[in-house]
Amino acid sequence: MGYEPLVQQNPLRVLNMGRENNQMGLVMARAGLGKTALLVQIALDAILRGKRVIHVSVGESIDKTRKWYDDILQSILQEHSVTRPHELMDMVARHRMIMTFKVAAFSRSRLEERLNDLILQDIFRPNVLIVDGFDFDGTSREALEDIKDLMDNMNMQAWFSAICHRGDQRVSPAGVPAPCHEIDDLFDMIILLKPEKDATIQLDIIRNYGEVVEGGTGLRLDPTTMMVKEL
Amino acid sequence: MKKDLNKVRNIGISAHIDSGKTTLTERILFFTQRIHAIHEVRGKDGVGATMDHMELERERGITIQSAATYCSWKDYDINIIDTPGHVDFTIEVERALRVLDGAVLILCSVGGVQSQSITVNRQMTRYKVPRIAFINKCDRTGANPERVTQQLRDKLDLNAVMIQMPIGLESDLQGMIDLIAMKAVYFDGEQGDNIRIEEIPAGLRDEAEAKREELLDAVSMFSDELMEAMLEEGDIPESMIHDAIRRGTLSLELTPVMIGSAYKNKGIQLLLDAVNAYLPCPTDIENTALDLDRDEAEVVVSNNPADPLVALAFKLEDGRYGQLTYIRTYQGEIKKGDTIINSRTGKKAKVGRLVRMHADEMEEIEEAGSGDIVALFGIDCASGDTFCSSALNWSMSSMHVPAPVISLAIKPVDNKAQINMSKALNRFTKEDPTFKTYVDHETSETIISGMGELHLEVYIERMKREYKAEVEVGAPQVAYRETITQRAEFDYVHKKQTGGSGQYGRVAGFIEPLEEGEYEFVDQIVGGVIPREYIPSCDKGFQKSLEKGILTGSPITGVRVTINDGSFHAVDSSDIAFQVAAIGAFKQAYAKASAVIMEPIMKVAVEGPSEFQGGVMGSLNQRRGVIVGTFEEGNYTVVEAEMPLSEMFGYSTTLRSLTQGKAEFTMEFATYKQVPKSVAEELVKAFEAKKKEA
Repeated sequence: MGYEPLVQQNPLRVLNMGRENNQMGLVMARAGLGKTALLVQIALDAILRGKRVIHVSVGESIDKTRKWYDDILQSILQEHSVTRPHELMDMVARHRMIMTFKVAAFSRSRLEERLNDLILQDIFRPNVLIVDGFDFDGTSREALEDIKDLMDNMNMQAWFSAICHRGDQRVSPAGVPAPCHEIDDLFDMIILLKPEKDATIQLDIIRNYGEVVEGGTGLRLDPTTMMVKEL
Repeated sequence: MKKDLNKVRNIGISAHIDSGKTTLTERILFFTQRIHAIHEVRGKDGVGATMDHMELERERGITIQSAATYCSWKDYDINIIDTPGHVDFTIEVERALRVLDGAVLILCSVGGVQSQSITVNRQMTRYKVPRIAFINKCDRTGANPERVTQQLRDKLDLNAVMIQMPIGLESDLQGMIDLIAMKAVYFDGEQGDNIRIEEIPAGLRDEAEAKREELLDAVSMFSDELMEAMLEEGDIPESMIHDAIRRGTLSLELTPVMIGSAYKNKGIQLLLDAVNAYLPCPTDIENTALDLDRDEAEVVVSNNPADPLVALAFKLEDGRYGQLTYIRTYQGEIKKGDTIINSRTGKKAKVGRLVRMHADEMEEIEEAGSGDIVALFGIDCASGDTFCSSALNWSMSSMHVPAPVISLAIKPVDNKAQINMSKALNRFTKEDPTFKTYVDHETSETIISGMGELHLEVYIERMKREYKAEVEVGAPQVAYRETITQRAEFDYVHKKQTGGSGQYGRVAGFIEPLEEGEYEFVDQIVGGVIPREYIPSCDKGFQKSLEKGILTGSPITGVRVTINDGSFHAVDSSDIAFQVAAIGAFKQAYAKASAVIMEPIMKVAVEGPSEFQGGVMGSLNQRRGVIVGTFEEGNYTVVEAEMPLSEMFGYSTTLRSLTQGKAEFTMEFATYKQVPKSVAEELVKAFEAKKKEA
């Protein structure tokens, strides 16, 4: 592909995460710390490795979601001199599809129907599913298990984002805060973002490939791009 | 008599096709007493609505050209620009938006926010036009203004707040509750001209109170006074709420939502009140011009009638007495007998007749002040030109004009049609910058080009009707382009000696791809190896080469040409010799520069019931489209895609049969992209076959 070097500072690459299929990942943070940016990084990492990504935005518009990609892609392009930026942008557009849903309209059956539409007509064969804005408070464990099941069947990797609240002190034994403290066992990878005093973001891995990581592995991220600040 | 600029409103009425825009305009003109009878758009009386003054519009029931109309309501002067509702005419909409200060966005209470409204809204945001939303057709079955308001928030990202609520809906629509005054308003009489104000019906009292709270919460953001008054829980003066809404509307952070039914004459007077109360006057809006004497530095126009004149010609029309030019003045005054200068051409013109337009009728006036919209007779200019008094040389910032993406060959059927056709084409190109025409030298066909199939169809119809020019129409052609993908050197000698004075010129240098822009010429000649006077000749020769590429005969864009060496002959070198040398040099380099074909890519949005989403995506995919994304709400889906224009011919038919006529699509030009190899090969083959034929 020739684009792999572009993602060296991508946190996933550094941590060697998200390489395998049939796994579910979760990014947690308080509002405004960059969950979406990190999800877009995860998506771009996959795209640059030649995978196809479906980005589901619940409660957001297509244009806004697209802008996230454009902005982060721009900053990558600025840092590295890419000989044919249009080709890169084109390739990202062709490997990505955005689906936006109203909060109430998103469900496993809806998602399955849409994915089948795409796959059966050979329009788009996704490898990775990104779900931004999933309503964890209003979803039962069964519904999430259902989606996990679907991902298994379709041989896809999925990444979710969840907002945790300052006031909510509930935490799972593994250290996963609410609202995901009771369903954390469904995820193979869990990342927690925390703000640091020097205006960077600390990335903690709570779990990787099903194993609990003691104490978290700290990485410092640049808050605008969610790229690794220092190695 | 000096006009109070605070009481001038230049507004546009924009909407999705069929949401009743023309009917609404008609009612406004009726209530402001500019016309004396109401005609329906598809009227039985054969008269047709006053604003749609072209026959064709009457027949199709749509509005094509924006006519400017003047009226007055409660001693405010209102100029209304009626804007076309179809995207194929976007330049008309955009040009109209440029001269507007505010707008009324009409929505159908049943259809809600449709794709067209999204396009229009985006354009309004681009030109920073404050707007009021009017939810029309509340008398129709399935009317749901609440849902439409929610859509305004979700789909258009507007902070939409209802300032009225309906009393009854659908066929039971009786009137509405004014949530600011907290009164019920009814419209009596056959044409709804008697307004009856009463107490709010007891059954609706609680709901109205709740809605008012919602309204106050939203608008108190824009007024500290109002916020304080609310905290004190005393009576809130109406004027305070009006002020807050106005402030919010002008800052584009609030969109007041009104409701009614133009067809049933309900809510029009209140809408006019709102236009006066909330939409900006000319001095509320900052407009900028470019000072041509100071290297196009940006200057703010003053709106002061005492300053020198600056006016923009935004629309031309062929009247019975010659060309009619609609202008908007930004500062200064224009009087009969004044001399004005067209800053594009530098030509002087004398103001002969000055008129105020009411669609087909006109009223002679002596002068017009700053911020007004009037029309001039007998001035020769193109649309988009700026007029100034002799003291200034300003140009209103150039409007964004998209390049045409589709073209057709037309052939007049007889001699008479030939003459009429050229008259018509001359007129259309002046009126509409996106409509272009030229004669292809190789085939001697007349080619017209524009923004879409419908755009060109309308002009062909107009030729037939207005100019009696019958033409035969060829198949639509996509406007391809060629460009280069790598640097290539050239070194070319043009030498000709055939007795008499010969020709000699040699140019050397290279061409390379240009990311932004169409063409750049770089002169790196040192030591006078090509004399100064022949440098422009080289430039001219290269530009000529760009007209037709080798692959498909399409124009070449995105090329930077650098010349860095050459030689000349004291006697035999001439302007023409260097032009020919440049053409030869370009050909030499172009063959080595990996030229590719580019095609126009359109942004397409298909919307319809969710059950058809799979089929729609399939149909787009088959046509080489890239699906950008989907948006789902309940049972309704929008699919956004980027599609090559060449694959979109006849798509409306496909879509109709695919979705039982329940889905519709809009299309606008997005960008040019390289054609895939297989398609490119076919294009080249077709071009070569055509060349052989000729």
